[in-house]
Amino acid sequence: MSLWDKYGTIQGRLDNVKKLINRDPLGVEFDDIMGRTRGRIGNREIILAGTNNYLGLTFDEDCMIAAKDAIDAHGTGTTGSRVANGTYTEHVELERALADHFKMPSCIVFSTGYQTNLAAISGLTNKDDIIFMDADAHACIIDGTRLSEASTIRFRHNSPEDLDKRMSRIKEKKGEFFVIIEGLYSMFGDIAPIDEFLDVTHKHGGYLYIDEAHSYGVFGETGCGLAEAQGVMDRVDFIAGTFSKSLASIGGFCVSKHPEFEIARKVMRPYLFTASPTPSNVSAALAAVGKINSDYGNELRQNIWDRATQLHKGLADLGYDLCAEPSPVIAARRPNEVICAMEWNWLLENGLYVNLAVPPGTPQSSSLLRISLSAAHTEDDVNQIIGKFAELKDVQPQLMENLMKLAG
Amino acid sequence: MPDHDEIFAKVCELLKPYNPENRPITMQSGIVSDLEVDSVAVFDLVMGLEDHYDVSIPMEMVSDIKTVGELCSAIKQLAEE
Repeated sequence: MSLWDKYGTIQGRLDNVKKLINRDPLGVEFDDIMGRTRGRIGNREIILAGTNNYLGLTFDEDCMIAAKDAIDAHGTGTTGSRVANGTYTEHVELERALADHFKMPSCIVFSTGYQTNLAAISGLTNKDDIIFMDADAHACIIDGTRLSEASTIRFRHNSPEDLDKRMSRIKEKKGEFFVIIEGLYSMFGDIAPIDEFLDVTHKHGGYLYIDEAHSYGVFGETGCGLAEAQGVMDRVDFIAGTFSKSLASIGGFCVSKHPEFEIARKVMRPYLFTASPTPSNVSAALAAVGKINSDYGNELRQNIWDRATQLHKGLADLGYDLCAEPSPVIAARRPNEVICAMEWNWLLENGLYVNLAVPPGTPQSSSLLRISLSAAHTEDDVNQIIGKFAELKDVQPQLMENLMKLAG
Repeated sequence: MPDHDEIFAKVCELLKPYNPENRPITMQSGIVSDLEVDSVAVFDLVMGLEDHYDVSIPMEMVSDIKTVGELCSAIKQLAEE
């Protein structure tokens, strides 16, 4: 017996995949990142189509200057928690900018998107409350519910009727109902009917918390996300987001229409007991908020939606089984994990990086080739992506033959 | 009130789509360890049981359930409350 015995299953799964494709699919190393949509592995240039860099602001000149200036002014790290020495003018300014963008009175910034959900969910609920969580919620939401002492009940994905049924089942409660959904779901790329969820949640006297990690920046007239796009932002209790997608940095935030949210700063453990995000990360995100809420932001959104429509049509015409309507996330369902891994590897070896997404990280135990688009992708880039997926169809018999040989 | 055998039969029925290799299911079968149902699928299975018996089985309770027998006992207890 050893400490490592419990990893036997996952090790076996990894070994099987490595035998097939001669690499660890969850350990890709890029030798260079040349820009928003191009990387390099060895001598091969790779089109990046799985980076969640939705607006392509990671190499935006103003965001880069803001980050560099912050280092010059305030150094490379804060070395302290927000409740100790880690609150700088950068953090306060970003919180104000995000609160203004959402037209909400309160905003708290966190060190990562993962910690945002961990902190807000566990901090806003206690043992008397009951959390209702969408069945397709991201791992950081699940972990947030685990860190909370509240009881957690899962409801069927994107079904306000099912939420209503499950909320109605609770006849007695000591605390509050806290409902968690996402805006754009990261794996299938489908979106939530927020207005209907608001109706159900508020009918039962609950609070609605939306993770707009993948929708902030790309949905809504000013880029606030799906709640803005659906015209219901002022009714939502809490909206969480991340800096590591449209905001082109690392960190996270949660805004609320409840000014009382501020007290949560004193109780959220993943906020209290970690160092605050660096001045450069925060300054890059602040510059990006300005870009998102501007005419330039509208241009970026227009481009990413044009590319999404183009790619969705191209892949659908090739006969790929796509998981949702066009959006910046487009996922093709594959028959199983092994075939999916072989196809993913073939794409990488032929100059295209997409995400290999497999259970239990995916809904319905699906194996997916997941693409996330960027406003920085050009029409030609998307034609190249479609071209790679067309070639992948052509080489299918050869891939299957290789698989059979390896399987003996 | 449903008895243990009836609940066991229902659990077996709902487990079918997650058990493509048709492994034999007993009260002692580990849902994840023996039947190799992935952790997310276990929660999907639980939603079906919640609806059938009109009970709420919170996720923290599911995390403590390891075997088919434990799942049946939990449902029986909740249905009787």
